[in-house]
Amino acid sequence: MILQINDHQDALVATIQVKEANLTVSEKFKAELFTQIDGGSKYIVVNFEEVTYVDSSFLGALVSALKHAITNKAEIVVAGLNKDILGLFRLIRLDKAFKIFDTTEGALADKAK
Amino acid sequence: MPVSKKILLVDDNTLVLEMMGRALGKEGFECMKAASAGQAMELLKEERPDIILSDYHMPEVNGFEFRQNLIGTDFKDIPFMFLTSEVDRDVMLEGINLEAVDYILKDTPVQVIVSKIDNFLTTVREQHERTLKELSKAAMALNLHSVPQKLPVIGGFEIDFWHKPFQNYPGGDFIDFITVDERHTFIVLGDVMGKKWGAWYFSFGFLSYIRAAVRICISEGNFSTKNILQKINSVVYHDPVVNDVLSSLSLVLIDAKESTIKYSGAGDLPLFYYNSKDDATKEVRSSGMLLGLMPDGDFDEIEIKLSAGDQIFILTDGIIDADTDTGKKTDYNSFIAAVTPFLGKPFADFKAGDFLKWKAKEHIDDCSLIYLKRTTS
Repeated sequence: MILQINDHQDALVATIQVKEANLTVSEKFKAELFTQIDGGSKYIVVNFEEVTYVDSSFLGALVSALKHAITNKAEIVVAGLNKDILGLFRLIRLDKAFKIFDTTEGALADKAK
Repeated sequence: MPVSKKILLVDDNTLVLEMMGRALGKEGFECMKAASAGQAMELLKEERPDIILSDYHMPEVNGFEFRQNLIGTDFKDIPFMFLTSEVDRDVMLEGINLEAVDYILKDTPVQVIVSKIDNFLTTVREQHERTLKELSKAAMALNLHSVPQKLPVIGGFEIDFWHKPFQNYPGGDFIDFITVDERHTFIVLGDVMGKKWGAWYFSFGFLSYIRAAVRICISEGNFSTKNILQKINSVVYHDPVVNDVLSSLSLVLIDAKESTIKYSGAGDLPLFYYNSKDDATKEVRSSGMLLGLMPDGDFDEIEIKLSAGDQIFILTDGIIDADTDTGKKTDYNSFIAAVTPFLGKPFADFKAGDFLKWKAKEHIDDCSLIYLKRTTS
C-alpha cells in the first residue's frame, strides 16, 4: 500500500508512505485513490508529509484522481508539502486545481467550517 | 545494466527459508521471505520481485495452488520456480504445465540453484534488451519521432534545442516546430506525465493530436496562442479517449517581422528570458493549467518584443530535477544558476557545459530545453 488511510468525520486522510513519489508507485497510488473515491469518500486530504520528491508521472496520477473526484462530486486537497514540492505545485499552477494546506489538521479544520 | 536480483522465497519451513535466504543473500540476491502463499501475496502487493522460488508442500495453499492463483493476476509474468523435495514425475509435470520456468529439487547444491537462477535472469534481461532494440528500430523505421529531426530557419533568429529522454527510452516530452510562412513559426514543447514507453506512445499520439490541433487553428487564420490553447484544452477535456492523459504545453509564436514572441502555457515551467541590452533576466510565467484538467484552462497570452542578443529558454521539468546529497529535488533556481554564466554566449557553450552533461548522466526524467535568440534587430 502506498497510502495509509485514516478516517475522520466526513473526511479521509490519505498519507503517502514513500519518500520518492515517482513512476514506480504512481499507478498504485492512482488506483488506491480511485478506490477511496469510488468507495464514496467526498473529502480526501492527500498528505505529502513523508514525501521529499515527486515526479511528473506521480503528479499526473494525482491530477487524474482529482478529475475522477470532480466527476464523483468529491474533493481532493493536499497537505504537508515540503518547500520544493510546494514550489513545484505553484510553478505549474497546480495550486489553482488543489487547495493546499500546511497540515492535515488545517485541511480537516477547513472541511469542518 | 546490472541484473536485478530480487527474489521472493516461499516456504512454510522457516529453517529452509532462513538458510536459503542466507545462501542467496551471499550471492548478491535481495530476498523477500514468505512463510505461506498468503504472506507471499501480501509481499507481492508491496514489491515486485524478479523471480519467485516457491515450495510445493505447504499447508492451506500449496505451491501449485499458489502458482494457479497468480495466473490471472498481474503477477503471472513474474518467472516462477518450484523448489521442493517432491520427486513424483506426475507432480513435476503438473508444475511445469503451470508455466513454471523450472522445477528444482531441494537437495540440489545451492551453487547449482544460484547459477540456474542467474542464467535465467540473464536470459530475461537479454530478451528484454533485444525487444527494446527491435521496438526502437521499428519506431525509427516508421519515422516516429517525438522531437524534430532538423531545426527551422527563421530570419533574424537562431533556434536550437537539447533533448535527453529518460534512460534513453523515448520519453514523455515532445517538441515540434511549425513553420507557417517566412514570418511565423510556432514552437511547441510538451511533457506528457509519465515516462518510458507508456508515456512515449501517449506522447506520440498526443503530439500528433496537438500538431493537428495547432495546424487546424493556424489554417483558420488563428494566430493567438491563447486561443489555440483554449481550443486544444476544450477538445482534450471533452474527448474521452485522451482526457485521462495529462500534459503540460508551452506554445510560442515567433513573429520574425515584428521581432516579437507570443507565449501561452498550460501547466508548464516559466520561460527564462534574457534581455541583452539591460543585461537583465526574467521568469515569464503564464497562467494556464495543465491541458485537459479543467474545462476552462485560464490561459493568458504574453507578448515580448525581442532585441538583438535577447535569449529565451523554454524547458520541461526534467531540467530542474536534481539528485542531491539529501535525495532528489525539483528546483527551478538550479537551472537559473547554471545558465546565468552562459547568458549572452552561444548556446553551444551551454550545451557542452557541465550542467547538461550532468542532466544526461543523472537520468531522472525526460529533459528538454529549447533555445531562441534574436540575432539581428
